Amino acid sequence: MADEKGGGDILIEDTRDGFRDEYRSMNRRKAMFILAFLLLAAGAFFLTLGFGIYDIGVTDAVGVFFDHLLGNPIDPKDDYYVWDVRVPRAIGALLIGAGLSVAGAIMQNDFKNPLAEPYTMGISSGAFLGATLNIILGISIVPFISGTATTVVNSFICSLIPTAIIVLVAKYRNLTPTAMILTGIAVMFLFSSITQIMMVTAPSETMADAYEWRVGSLSSMQWEYIPVMLIVTVLITAVLWFSSSKLNVMYAGDRAAQTFGENARGIRVSTLVLVSVMTAVLICFTGTIGFIGLVGPHVARIFVGSDNRYLIPTSAAFGAAFVILADTLAKVSGPNGLPVGVICSMIGGPLFIWILVRQRKSAWI
Amino acid sequence: MEYEEEGLTRDGLKEEYHHAIARKIILLTVCVLGIVLFVGLLSLSNYEGVGLKETYEIIWNHILGNEYPSKSLFWWADRYIWNTAFPHALAAIIAGAALAICGTMMQSMMVNPLADPYSTGISSGACFGAICAIVVGVSFSSVTGEMGIVTNAFIGAMVPALLIVFLAQRIHMTPATLILLGTAISYFFNSMITYLMVTTDADTLQSAYMWQVGSLDGMSWDSLPIMAVVTVIGSAIVMLLSSKLNVMSLGENSAISLGVDVERFRLLCLVLMAVMTAAIVSFTGIIGFIGLVAPHMVRLVIGSDNRFVAPISMAAGALLLLAADYIAFQFSDIPVGVVMSVIGSPVFFLIILWQTRKAGAIY
Repeated sequence: MADEKGGGDILIEDTRDGFRDEYRSMNRRKAMFILAFLLLAAGAFFLTLGFGIYDIGVTDAVGVFFDHLLGNPIDPKDDYYVWDVRVPRAIGALLIGAGLSVAGAIMQNDFKNPLAEPYTMGISSGAFLGATLNIILGISIVPFISGTATTVVNSFICSLIPTAIIVLVAKYRNLTPTAMILTGIAVMFLFSSITQIMMVTAPSETMADAYEWRVGSLSSMQWEYIPVMLIVTVLITAVLWFSSSKLNVMYAGDRAAQTFGENARGIRVSTLVLVSVMTAVLICFTGTIGFIGLVGPHVARIFVGSDNRYLIPTSAAFGAAFVILADTLAKVSGPNGLPVGVICSMIGGPLFIWILVRQRKSAWI
Repeated sequence: MEYEEEGLTRDGLKEEYHHAIARKIILLTVCVLGIVLFVGLLSLSNYEGVGLKETYEIIWNHILGNEYPSKSLFWWADRYIWNTAFPHALAAIIAGAALAICGTMMQSMMVNPLADPYSTGISSGACFGAICAIVVGVSFSSVTGEMGIVTNAFIGAMVPALLIVFLAQRIHMTPATLILLGTAISYFFNSMITYLMVTTDADTLQSAYMWQVGSLDGMSWDSLPIMAVVTVIGSAIVMLLSSKLNVMSLGENSAISLGVDVERFRLLCLVLMAVMTAAIVSFTGIIGFIGLVAPHMVRLVIGSDNRFVAPISMAAGALLLLAADYIAFQFSDIPVGVVMSVIGSPVFFLIILWQTRKAGAIY
């Protein structure tokens, strides 16, 4: 470039421009990843409409979907299977994937711990306790409800108890992140041991039912569930995304956050509440679907790094695409279908190992 | 004078130091006394006239080699204690101690409070092996029957461990990647387990689930030697390494600058832990809680110096499992792991609440 003498200023200018360009192109690349995952999710959404027990091709199913939207006349049987069975299930899969991934990303960020996930604070054990209360003992926490709604309501209420306990403790004690995690572990073990007592004393048939709930499945998705799930997931994800710069400060540590004028503990507790509500709403309908909440954000992190402005949308898009693809496979896998959580970890586990081995630089220190 | 205000006078420091030592000694004594008490309680047979005092007497006499007249009351009690109660109690002590020390090692090595002996997927590998034997009837070795499950579980447990050791040489291994690798592996095996379990019938599912929950029932003298030898040798090595573990828990960079070959040390710890955990888990099933919580309990009381945390958490883990085993023994239907977390988690919760900054924990 410039000759050695007198070239210093130009060089600095050059590098400054170079940095700016590099920064911009990096951000463009991140945005491209988000777009790619979104497109993948959209494609998978249409693909999954063509799979299931009822025999209808992908193109026909997509046709039925658009005909229903436009109000064209359709065969009622086609309409039932595509619009009333598969579309809610597909939307459910998208929401579960997006919501749990975002929840995991926030938890890992809040606690600066790669092992944190939406269930770290005991949400899953609470939800499972509520569900088993109904499945095995037939108890409803809220009176005047019966049928499948009881399991949903029970698990929703119980899943929020651990978070409530932690928030309460955090209010009166100065809890460090680690102490919060430990409190979560204590609550989780307590709840799951109560559930286990019920499980081991139950007759084998009801125990199998309860076990199936824990594994989680999307097969019971209905239109009635979608509005609640959709509103809560979209709203909370949006709130979290708009506060991503605050969340980034959290990642630097509590002290650093304080010097930036942020109240780290306050942010941690409030995001914890948001994440818990979102997770509780999602899993009370489906059972505790694992894997995606832990691994989704990690995969996203490998692609776009740990900046929450990009990490949150990437996690959401990747999670949605991954779960809906896994659910498609689950539907193909047999008449009864394997649970989606099983497919997620069976395929995602090796995939994740491969990504981890291939990555040059660790996204985690 | 300024120092005095901050409580850093010489006398104050000395006093605090003595307090810290006293706390360690008291905790260790409590644990050991608790273990002795619960061994006695577990050995308490239903024979009339054989109380707690007589039980200790019988145990003492057996150790000294004194024999009772054949077919007398004490002879029967002696037989019961020696053949049924003692293997049970010893298994609880060994398993509790081994899991607790493995947990201590993992948490310090990974610098992560969420790590436990099962973080590397050993438990799910073992579980997969055992469930293969229970559900499908596949044996990985020529051994069949009850021991078939044990060997299957052991072989299954070694798979994730070997996989991690193999992969660790190919990547730059930070604690985070290591732990994530373990998680990915355990998710994979868990999915296979779930697959086998949801496709089987309800009764097999129940017996497989019972294995997964973990129990000490049916422990006999035959299974003890392997567990005991592995645990004693393993924990001796861990204790020798404990000052290095202290350095590791400062973080990778500090450890390197203090002269620890981090990657090799980590690999050594992993292999050690894998063998110890596998030896225990394949006999007892997945007993959770101890490996994660016992070290935390100890650390909350005495601080995080691994030279003390390692031995004391062994005692605490043994006491926890033994006490839980005694209570589970009273309600014969409930597995020991469940009892332990029902009782242990409120205790853990209280310790967290009660813990003050003076205890010197790193949290």
